[in-house]
Amino acid sequence: MSQSTNGKMLKGRDLITVGIFSAIYFVINFIFMLMSGFHPMIWILMPALIALFTGVPFMLMCAKVQKPGAVILMGLITGLLYFVTGQFTVVILATFAVGCILGEIARAVTKYNSYIGNTVAFAMFSIGMTGSPLPIWIMRESFLAQITQQGMPADYVATLEAVSSPAMLIVMVVAPLVTAVIGAFIAKGMFKKHFTKAGIV
Amino acid sequence: MIKIDHVSFGYTDEQEQLHDFDLHIGKGECILLCGESGCGKTSVTKLINGLIPHFQEGCTLQGNVTAAGLSVANTEVYELAKHIGSVFQNPKSQFFNLDTDSEIAFGLENEGMPPEQMKERIVETVSALQIQNLLRRNIFALSGGEKQMLAFASVYAMSPAIYVLDEPTANLDEQAIERLRQQIILLKNQGHTVVVAEHRLYFLADIIDRAIYIRDGKLLHSFTGKEFCNLSDERRKELGLRTIRQTKLDLPEVTCSEDKVGLTVTNLGCAYKKGPNVFEHLSFHAAPGEVVAITGHNGAGKTTLVRCLCGLMKESSGTISLNGKVLKPKQRQKAGFLVMQDVNHQLFYDSVWNECEQAAGENAEGTQIETVLKQFDLLNFRERHPMALSGGQKQRLAIATAVLSEKKLLIFDEPTSGLDYRHMCE
Amino acid sequence: MPGTEISRLRIDPRTGLLLLVLANIIAFSNKSLSVELGTLGLLLFLTVLCGQLRSALKWGAVIIFLFALQWYILPASPKIIATSFSIFANYARKMLPCLMIGGLLISTLSLREIIVALRSFHVPQKLIISISVTLRYFPAIKEEIAHIGDAMRLRNISGLEKVEATLVPLMISATNTAEELSAAAVTRGIENPAKKTSLIQLKMCCFDWIVLTVGSLFTVVALIF
Repeated sequence: MSQSTNGKMLKGRDLITVGIFSAIYFVINFIFMLMSGFHPMIWILMPALIALFTGVPFMLMCAKVQKPGAVILMGLITGLLYFVTGQFTVVILATFAVGCILGEIARAVTKYNSYIGNTVAFAMFSIGMTGSPLPIWIMRESFLAQITQQGMPADYVATLEAVSSPAMLIVMVVAPLVTAVIGAFIAKGMFKKHFTKAGIV
Repeated sequence: MIKIDHVSFGYTDEQEQLHDFDLHIGKGECILLCGESGCGKTSVTKLINGLIPHFQEGCTLQGNVTAAGLSVANTEVYELAKHIGSVFQNPKSQFFNLDTDSEIAFGLENEGMPPEQMKERIVETVSALQIQNLLRRNIFALSGGEKQMLAFASVYAMSPAIYVLDEPTANLDEQAIERLRQQIILLKNQGHTVVVAEHRLYFLADIIDRAIYIRDGKLLHSFTGKEFCNLSDERRKELGLRTIRQTKLDLPEVTCSEDKVGLTVTNLGCAYKKGPNVFEHLSFHAAPGEVVAITGHNGAGKTTLVRCLCGLMKESSGTISLNGKVLKPKQRQKAGFLVMQDVNHQLFYDSVWNECEQAAGENAEGTQIETVLKQFDLLNFRERHPMALSGGQKQRLAIATAVLSEKKLLIFDEPTSGLDYRHMCE
Repeated sequence: MPGTEISRLRIDPRTGLLLLVLANIIAFSNKSLSVELGTLGLLLFLTVLCGQLRSALKWGAVIIFLFALQWYILPASPKIIATSFSIFANYARKMLPCLMIGGLLISTLSLREIIVALRSFHVPQKLIISISVTLRYFPAIKEEIAHIGDAMRLRNISGLEKVEATLVPLMISATNTAEELSAAAVTRGIENPAKKTSLIQLKMCCFDWIVLTVGSLFTVVALIF
């Protein structure tokens, strides 16, 4: 009986579950977003830091909604909230779209309830936040041009060039992949210690 | 109107929640479902509104349910929603919008009702339920009772023929319960069919047509309204039911003695940042072992007082002293403990035992914890995750942690919500 | 009920969202200082027109501060500070128009109106349901964290334990709320495939078209120069 209603489409309950966990994800995300205002290096590492601390809501959401589309929804919600409040550019919507599609593929291949599959999905999803500092590289030229125009000392310009170098770009993209794996591992520990015992998954 | 035909149901294959349950409800009847926690009364409400089987994955269901002429199992829940309105127990988790107007319109928007008609429906709803004061407000600023009223209004706006209420008063104060009672009478007069599953009985006893007593998933008794009202107290207690008649409390006035022992509150005032005082010049005294009740309607300042007493808020004037010593907020946090309305917020560890161990502190002995757990009837659950306990057990665990950390002052913020008679006595 | 609102100019949420897109295009394409100043000036004007005098003053101060920072303060500061903050100053300047529009949207429109606007842009219904729940859950998280914080203070929990002790009840309560809220949503027909209607009716007026035309003009100029 219940099988007929349990299709592979997202239903009301799934949408609400995703919405609620996205809210928690966003709150944690937002805290690090604010912290990144202290220094550009924190900003560049922000996607990685967020991945480290948001494994729990993401993995719990995955455990609750084992259907296609959940990861995309979570990414779009985050991207849209940042876009509509004018805090980040459209770039963040694009990076989330790419990351989430890769994440969905990872989950589809692993049939939605494998720890490894969800971890890979989380790593891909975490790439989405790189859309926040990415404009540093996109606007690099105009920025450096402006700095030089202003007649800043050469060593100053050199430091800024280093911060926005292609090597840093790679660091920015790879770091969240690594920390997402750790974040998912932390989540696994929490599942074992709390959520499974409490009977909520 | 509603036909439940020999239904057996289980959330899983192993455990049966309802057994061969048979109940027919006529049009315009007002039915009370009662019985102890876990007896299956909530399951009956879900059979009617379609949450069973549509919302329960992996459940087992035998037998047939029809409501408003529809076979519940074979009708989509959104179709059922047009005929069957449901109100649930937790006012905090029944709304989707941040503003009240949109919330009343929620069900109508889902149906796709044209905006003009929708506005008319809302005006009708507001005047029928007398909730003008709820319009154009932020839902998060509403009290629990107001939220429940809003949930009710949102369902009423959809004008269903059947109303299913699952413990609607669990988180309400007396005033709000009285309003709910008026609304149920209104529904009855309009000829709607009403099914209420409840622990609190006094407000319903004289308006129901029948009371269905359920035990262990079986329909044990069916009383007419009159029979139910005339149940003797003994019989009622035997059935594990709460009081049918509203009790009048006759308590001695609190004293303001100069006694040094115990808790003394003198001239206390309290205010939120920059705001006016929520209350001022409040004085009372409680001797050790004495129980003081703080009553008052929503918004009277009970919660503020309670938070101030246990040091979560600073006093703006006056003093709070324990055994003759004036305590600062920090010290009160050490001396006092608050059992919150939602006890889920105050259990943190991964087992009952660890929860207690942390509370008892480093140099506590295992035997002491064992004794306390035994007292609170929790020793059998020592390895259980606190969140896997029942509501009453969670509350007892929270109290156990307070006892173990040797708190002198125990404060309960509306602790009886959702407990049946037997557990209240404990 | 609508109608009692004091008549003051307000932009339609759809106008606001379109402006955001335009502001994004300008942020990435514009190199001319005069277009930048023009955009900022007009947005300040728009903020005032919409009755947000205080936030206009605030934004004005931010603009002056950012320019002063970039031109006078940072060049004169020690290198370590200058290098750290010039990226921010630059990014902030580029993002200012977006932030101003975002701020205007949030302060003059209800979240509900923004949701209705998204619906009229044919954003999929599923995304709209989810994002509505997300927005509705933010204040709930705030409430819960306050309660959990109170409880922790009474239990003397401190240090790293705090993180776990906050996260676990928060997650468990989120799971329960998801169940309960879903039950309430489903029994009020959220899964109804009928085209959803809305209590709030959006109307683009003359003012919206003027705002959009000016916005488009600036975008075109920014793209050309």
